[in-house]
Amino acid sequence: MSWHGIRTVAALELRQRVRTSKWPVVLGIWVAVIALVAFLAYYATNDEQLRSGEAMYDVVVFFVLGLAMLIVPSLTATSVNGDREHGVLATLQTTLLTHWDIVLGKLVAAWALSMAFLVSALPFMAWAWFEGGISFGRILLSLLVLVLVLAVVCTVGLMFSTLTARPIASAVLTYLTMGALVFGTTIGFALSAFLVTEKEQQTVFGIPDNWYDTHQPPNIDPSDPTLTQAQIDQLMKAGQPTRADCTTFTRTTDVAHTERIWWMLPLNPFVVVADAAPSEPRHQRDGVSTAGFTPMRWISGGVRMARNGPEGVSDECWVDQASASSSQDPMEKALGTAPVWPYGLGFLLLAGGGAATVAGRRLRTPIRRLPNGTRIA
Amino acid sequence: MTIEVQGVRRAFGDVLAVDSISLTANPGEVTALIGPNGSGKTTLLLMLATLLVPDQGAIRIDGLDPVTQPTEVRSRIGWMPDGFGTWDALTVREVLLTVAAAYRIAPEQARARTDALLATVHLEDLADRRARVLSRGQKQRLGLARALINDPSVLLLDEPASGLDPRSRIELRDVLRGLAAEGKTVLVSSHILTELQEVADRAVIVARGRSLETQRLDDEHAMTATASWRIDSLDLDGLTAWLADHHVPARRVGGGLTEVEVAGEENAARLLADLVRDGIRVTGYARSQGALETAYLAATEDRR
Repeated sequence: MSWHGIRTVAALELRQRVRTSKWPVVLGIWVAVIALVAFLAYYATNDEQLRSGEAMYDVVVFFVLGLAMLIVPSLTATSVNGDREHGVLATLQTTLLTHWDIVLGKLVAAWALSMAFLVSALPFMAWAWFEGGISFGRILLSLLVLVLVLAVVCTVGLMFSTLTARPIASAVLTYLTMGALVFGTTIGFALSAFLVTEKEQQTVFGIPDNWYDTHQPPNIDPSDPTLTQAQIDQLMKAGQPTRADCTTFTRTTDVAHTERIWWMLPLNPFVVVADAAPSEPRHQRDGVSTAGFTPMRWISGGVRMARNGPEGVSDECWVDQASASSSQDPMEKALGTAPVWPYGLGFLLLAGGGAATVAGRRLRTPIRRLPNGTRIA
Repeated sequence: MTIEVQGVRRAFGDVLAVDSISLTANPGEVTALIGPNGSGKTTLLLMLATLLVPDQGAIRIDGLDPVTQPTEVRSRIGWMPDGFGTWDALTVREVLLTVAAAYRIAPEQARARTDALLATVHLEDLADRRARVLSRGQKQRLGLARALINDPSVLLLDEPASGLDPRSRIELRDVLRGLAAEGKTVLVSSHILTELQEVADRAVIVARGRSLETQRLDDEHAMTATASWRIDSLDLDGLTAWLADHHVPARRVGGGLTEVEVAGEENAARLLADLVRDGIRVTGYARSQGALETAYLAATEDRR
């Protein structure tokens, strides 16, 4: 393995890709679609009172990831078995290039092309940045994660193209793998949630069920002329529980132990990207709130909640406005806990490393065992 | 830079592609590998080209084992596959420069080598055209140039003449002879026998995955080997009677020709002189088939 060898293969691959395919057209469509999505996101979330930057950013990043996961596998999923079919793989294998030169060269080429897609989406991310509400560090982190996720996608495609004889088969297998990562993990999590849901004693901090039995609201007639408005309010309030009425008690209820199955969720590349850099909490900043539509934040909070599992004490003391804002929203609380994306990214990188190793082994010559239907030259 | 193959065997699943092939190819010689379709020629060449591990037997190229020392072997060999594919989007020159880079040849040296090889295979005019536009024969010539780019001392050519026009074939023959004269080992597989007859020093006949025999094809061999000669005469009856009188085994073949078996060129010349002396009006007298053809047909007879 040498840098010279990798560069030779990568240059060969890039030259062929750029000349044979209609890359300008594909790239043009890509930019047009992303531009359209960015504009729509801007108009949907733009408001005098709100910052639209965060919503735009989330939409654009997810769209880039989704579309790239559709396009990028086509860069590598046919590269080895396609070469075999054209009788050009053996031409390289009989030179001084090693099998690692060929695998890594092809990977570098495909990855460089997927970077072209990412770079052409950068102006729209920059636009979201100008709209405000996103930190520069957040853009940097999510871009880094995107770059790594796309590299893994390239590697998976390359592995399948070394494993199957026909380009169609490897393309299908690659898309199936992407589907399993994106939809399979989500569906798997949702379905297995039933398996970890049990009837359990749960400690609750709130208004006990019997409170309302003992505290009947006073029977008053608002139209009674003998009462002033202030007196009516006073009487109504007396019929409502206050924070002081909240006690700790236990109750048997269905509890989902998502902390046993949460690990499925970070395998999803969308979760990794979302959790790596969710938007900051919604807050007033120089009098302008950020927009409410923040899918990355929701995904991130949801997955961290699933990871944390049910709380020891369920805080259900929702009595009046003041106490509701003082007791924290569970998602806000979860967002303050440790992130899950390092697990997901770690898994994806391990999978990518494994895929590259398999691909390398499959290209080693001389071949001892030849898989069915594969030709050498 | 000798190629030595000893009892090599290779199966793909339950298909036995090569049963037992042994051969030796020496430097300075062109060795032909001939045999019917599916006799294991291409599989043998894949094993020699370090792409495939033999199930049994041993291969040595310049004393090196392609299985355990593939890199050393690769730097010494040039392999031209059957049905050579090219990177269609690259120009002819770029194809050769890419392969040169894969052999870690320095760029300047690679450019010089590429220009020289393009001249050798007469593709200078097409050097900057896409490889896609090449005809089959032109692709074969590009394949030959590709195999020569690292100045190999051992050349493995799989059906190099297929798809070539007559002029290119003659040029290929000259290129191969030139390479052998430089002391390189050339192993050519083909089933165009007349072609090989002219270029090869030795022929290894393979059939059903086995090497049947090795035949020398040099002049000395041609002078002594038994061959069939065809005689065309104005008086067919007189010729037949004369041959019967002189106990020359003969048979009628199509077109009013008579075929006789004669051992060696000396005897063939004597027979012609005798015929003319006795007043048989001979208008044509030629070998019916080359020695290689005779040997090949004899060796592969059981196929029928």
